[in-house]
Amino acid sequence: MKMSNKTLKRLSFFFANLKSQPMTVVLFVCASFSIVILFLMLFFVAREGALAFTKFGPDLLLGIQWNLEANLFGGLPLLYGSLMVTFGALLIAIPIGVSTAIFVSEVLPFYLRDPIKSIIELLASIPSVIYGFIGLLIVVPFISSFFGINSGQTALTASLILSLMTIPTIVSVSGEIISAVPKSYKEAALGLGATKWETIKTIVLPISKSGILASIMLGFGRAIGETIAVSMVAGNQAHIATSFLDSVYTIPAFIATHMGEAAVGSLEYSALFGLGLILLVITFIVNTLADLVVKRGAQHG
Amino acid sequence: MGSPTKERIFFVALGVPVIISLLAFFWIAATLLTGVGSLNLDMLTTSALKGGAFEMIVGTVYLFAGAAAIAGPIGIFAAIYLVEYAPSGKITRIIDQAINNLAGVPSIIIGLFGYTFFSRQLGFGISLLSGWLTLSLMILPIVIRGSEEAIRIVPTSFKQAALALGATKWKSISLTTLVAAAPGVVTSLILGIARVAGETAAILFTSSVLITRGLPSSPFQPVMTLSFNMYVKIVARGESPENVFGIALILFFIVLSFSLVAIILRVYYRRKQPWLD
Repeated sequence: MKMSNKTLKRLSFFFANLKSQPMTVVLFVCASFSIVILFLMLFFVAREGALAFTKFGPDLLLGIQWNLEANLFGGLPLLYGSLMVTFGALLIAIPIGVSTAIFVSEVLPFYLRDPIKSIIELLASIPSVIYGFIGLLIVVPFISSFFGINSGQTALTASLILSLMTIPTIVSVSGEIISAVPKSYKEAALGLGATKWETIKTIVLPISKSGILASIMLGFGRAIGETIAVSMVAGNQAHIATSFLDSVYTIPAFIATHMGEAAVGSLEYSALFGLGLILLVITFIVNTLADLVVKRGAQHG
Repeated sequence: MGSPTKERIFFVALGVPVIISLLAFFWIAATLLTGVGSLNLDMLTTSALKGGAFEMIVGTVYLFAGAAAIAGPIGIFAAIYLVEYAPSGKITRIIDQAINNLAGVPSIIIGLFGYTFFSRQLGFGISLLSGWLTLSLMILPIVIRGSEEAIRIVPTSFKQAALALGATKWKSISLTTLVAAAPGVVTSLILGIARVAGETAAILFTSSVLITRGLPSSPFQPVMTLSFNMYVKIVARGESPENVFGIALILFFIVLSFSLVAIILRVYYRRKQPWLD
């Protein structure tokens, strides 16, 4: 510990000797870095996708066929697949995530809150390739034998795995909002004779509902962009699936599996970037809306 | 009016999902542990050419260490600006929004961008360097948010004491606030590393290859990683998952230990900082 304190001291003296005025500029530049990167990202992904967009226009999103030989690049089955597994995942993750958040921040005794939050945080840190691996090892064979189908790589499998990856986002974001509800409000309700559950229902949930909504939107953004795990367990067949026991292909999984073979500058390459741009715009909108919802909620709260 | 029974039913209904999420974690951990048999310690030091994982482990470490070295300073400086300097106004709001949006960009898009920008536009190719730059974009928002939090909870009296002694604003921040916030800042960096150590989509086209001869000797060479190896073997080559069990376990242990260290650090320093409560 002594040693590291000395290093820390030396480091802080080094920084302190930098001039104050130019340092302000350096700090500002570092803070603006995220803006610059986002613009570069939009520009470069759009530039590579421009060819496909000018050639196909809305068909890139609405066309039903992706066929290299016929020069057809329609992403509708992929968009459909993405939305399907995302909604499937949210259907599972919302009830589990929101009730976990309420339970952890309102019901659980204090000494258990941090350990449980830590375990949920660990769940969030598991890499997606490991989730995909576990899915293949256990969930895929289970689904196949449970439903008696040939391949266990289905939209349902992908939704199950994705829900595990989305729950931590929902728990941590809505948990934070729920614990921010002022203690005095809750005490007032309890003082008037409300039970703990009535307090949660009439005080805590109405105040934190915009935060919970935002956490669900962030979960949506996380799930729709998930690539690796989904591409390992969803079966990867581009068609309009009619059942959750069909295999599906999602936009990110499709990009991941096709980029390697697409010749740089080709129409296919450009179409893949076009799909990427669509995904980027979707997540931008969802994340920005989530932020607005939180801010609006904070104003009313 | 809720009767006690009704009350109890509600709490049980709330508690079941919690147990489900806890079980999910233990189930994942238990599943992975059943594969410990397939992990022999020789793998750690044997070259991948002879069936080991040595280059992948070192490659993974190279990648996240470089990415953290790039994102760390930028993220910390950005956090200092946002907490201590930023005027509350439009520009600050836009910066704030941009950081949230960057955090929400799917990793596959980060990978696409890294490929067109770093690998092709800047000509870095499929290399360690492209991988560092690409992954640093994923660590950055985590470091900024974590450091902001750590800096914000340092009492302003620390800084004011330095200011009263005649230090400039920057001097007082770097000598007091930053020192007090250091553990929190380091924790956020470790969390960032945990986030990218197993990242696959972002390095798919930017820095990884399935097999190299030995370790990369310069940042302009591609690198082998654990996550890439698992993914390509399973998805592109259709190998059975059991074949990569050893690699999966090594990756899981690396990521888990970074997350655990971050969590323990946070608890430990929260106890050591009496001004927090």
